[in-house]
Amino acid sequence: MSLLINLRNVSKDYGGTVKALESVNLEIDKGEFVFIVGPSGAGKSTLIKLLYREEVPSKGQVVVLGKDLAKLRRREVPYLRRRIGVVFQDFKLLEEKTVWENVSFALEVTGTPNREIRKRVSQVLTLVGLKDRRDAFPNELSGGEQQRIAIARALARNPDILLADEPSGNLDPKTSLEIFSLLERTNMYGTTVVVATHAQEMVNLFKKRVIELRNGTVVRDERRGAYSS
Amino acid sequence: MRFIGYVFSEAFRSLWRNKLSSFLSSLTTGFALFLLGISFLVSINLGYIYTMAEEQMEIQAYIIKDATANQIATAVDQVQKIPGVSTVKYVSKEDALEELKVMFKDKASVLESLEDENPLPASIRVKTSSVEYIDKVVEEIQTMDIIDDVIYQEEVSRRMMSIGKAVQYISLGGMVAVGAVSVMVIGNSIRLTIDSKRHEIGVMKLVGATDGFIVGPFILEGMVMGIVGSILGAVFAVGIYNWLFEKIYEVIPFMPMFALDAESKLRMFGIMAITGIVVGVAGSVISVRRHLKV
Repeated sequence: MSLLINLRNVSKDYGGTVKALESVNLEIDKGEFVFIVGPSGAGKSTLIKLLYREEVPSKGQVVVLGKDLAKLRRREVPYLRRRIGVVFQDFKLLEEKTVWENVSFALEVTGTPNREIRKRVSQVLTLVGLKDRRDAFPNELSGGEQQRIAIARALARNPDILLADEPSGNLDPKTSLEIFSLLERTNMYGTTVVVATHAQEMVNLFKKRVIELRNGTVVRDERRGAYSS
Repeated sequence: MRFIGYVFSEAFRSLWRNKLSSFLSSLTTGFALFLLGISFLVSINLGYIYTMAEEQMEIQAYIIKDATANQIATAVDQVQKIPGVSTVKYVSKEDALEELKVMFKDKASVLESLEDENPLPASIRVKTSSVEYIDKVVEEIQTMDIIDDVIYQEEVSRRMMSIGKAVQYISLGGMVAVGAVSVMVIGNSIRLTIDSKRHEIGVMKLVGATDGFIVGPFILEGMVMGIVGSILGAVFAVGIYNWLFEKIYEVIPFMPMFALDAESKLRMFGIMAITGIVVGVAGSVISVRRHLKV
C-alpha cells in the first residue's frame, strides 16, 4: 500500500486562541474509504481544507500525493488540485451553465483538448446517472441530482483522491444513501475517498474506516467503524 | 490553443455583459489617446516648420505701395552692397501672385478672387551667405525709406515653434492626467467583471485552473478597451486635424502645415495603440491585484 495522505503533528489555528486542529497524526493509503466524523466545530472541515491546500497548517506537516503542502509553491497548487476532486454541502455549481457545461468547465479551464472533454464528460455523467439531463440547468434539478453533478465534476479529471465535506448535509436520507453509494462506487474504481460527515446512519451502514475528531484532536481511528464507539 | 480560445471567448463575453462600462472606459481612454495624438501631430508640424525654415533662410522686405521703379532699383543696389548678402531679387506684385498660384495649384480657386485687386505687396528677397548675417542685414534694410516691413522665415518659425511646443506640452500633460483616469476607469470596469465572476473563479481555483486561465480574460478585456480607445482617439485626432487644416488653409494659406499622409497616420495610430494597450493592461493588472487574490 502506498501512502497518499500523511499528517504529522498538524495543528491549525486561525489566529485566535482556539485551535481548529491540534497535533493531528493521520495516514491514509491509496484506495481507502475514510469517514471523518465528529460534532460541529470539531475540525472536520479544516482537515479537509488542509488536504486540498485551501489552508496551510500552522504547525506540523501535511503530505498529500508525495508533496509537502506547506512547501508547495503557489503556482504548483493548481496541478495538485487537478489530482484531487472536492465536493461540498452547497454543491458550488454554476447556475448559468447546464449540467454538461458545469462538468466540461472543469476540464476546459485546465486546458483539456475538446475531444478529450467530450469523452470524459460523457463518461462521468453516465457514471453518476445524469446523462439524460445534460442540458438541464442546476435549478431545474433536485438537490441529489445537483450533488451528483458536483461529483461528476470532481471526477472529471479522474483524480487520485476525492474529498467530500458534508456531501449530504442538504439532502434527505434516501438521497443521502444514493450519494454515499455513488462515493462508494467511485472508491471501488480505485479513487481514495475521504468524507467529512454528520450522517450517522450512513457511517454505520457503510462500515468504513472512521476517524473521529473532538475539539481538533483525533479521539478514535477504527477500521470498519461506526459513527460512535 | 485551448487557452487562447478560452481567454478570447471569456473576455468578449464580459465586455458584452458590461457594455456600458466597457464603452465608457474605451471612451475615456480614447480621449487620453486623442491628446497624445494631438501632441504627435504638433511634433510632426514642428519638424516640418524646422525643415522649411532651414531651406528658406530668406529675408522678405516688403515695399511700400507708392514706390517708383527708380526708387526700387536704387534700393536693390543698396541691399546688394550690405556685407553678407549673397543674392537679391525683386518680386513684383504680379510675380508674387503667380508664385502663390504655383504653390497652391490644386486650390487655385481660392486665389481667383485676388485677380482683380491684388493685395500682395511687391518685395525684395534677400539671401545671406550665412545665418549669422541675418540680424544685421535685417537691421540695415529696415532703415530704408521704401521698405514697409521686413519679415524673415526664421523669426516666424521661431514664434510658431514656441507656440507649437506649448501646445505639445499642454496636450502631453493632459494625456498623462486623462491617462491616469483611464487606468482607473478600466480598472473599475474590470472590477465589475471580477465581481460577477467571483463564484466562477472560486470553482476554477478548486478544479485546478492556473492563474493564466483565471487572469488571462481580464487582461485581454483591458487590452481590448485600450485598443478600442486608441481607434476612437485616432479617428477623432485625424478628424480634428483635417478640419483645422482646411480652416487654417482658408484663412492663412501661407501657414506651413503638414498634410497627413498614410505613413504618418499609421505611425500615429501605432503609438496610440501601443499606449492604449499599456493603459488597458495596467488597469486590469491593478484591478486584478486589488480585487482578486490569485
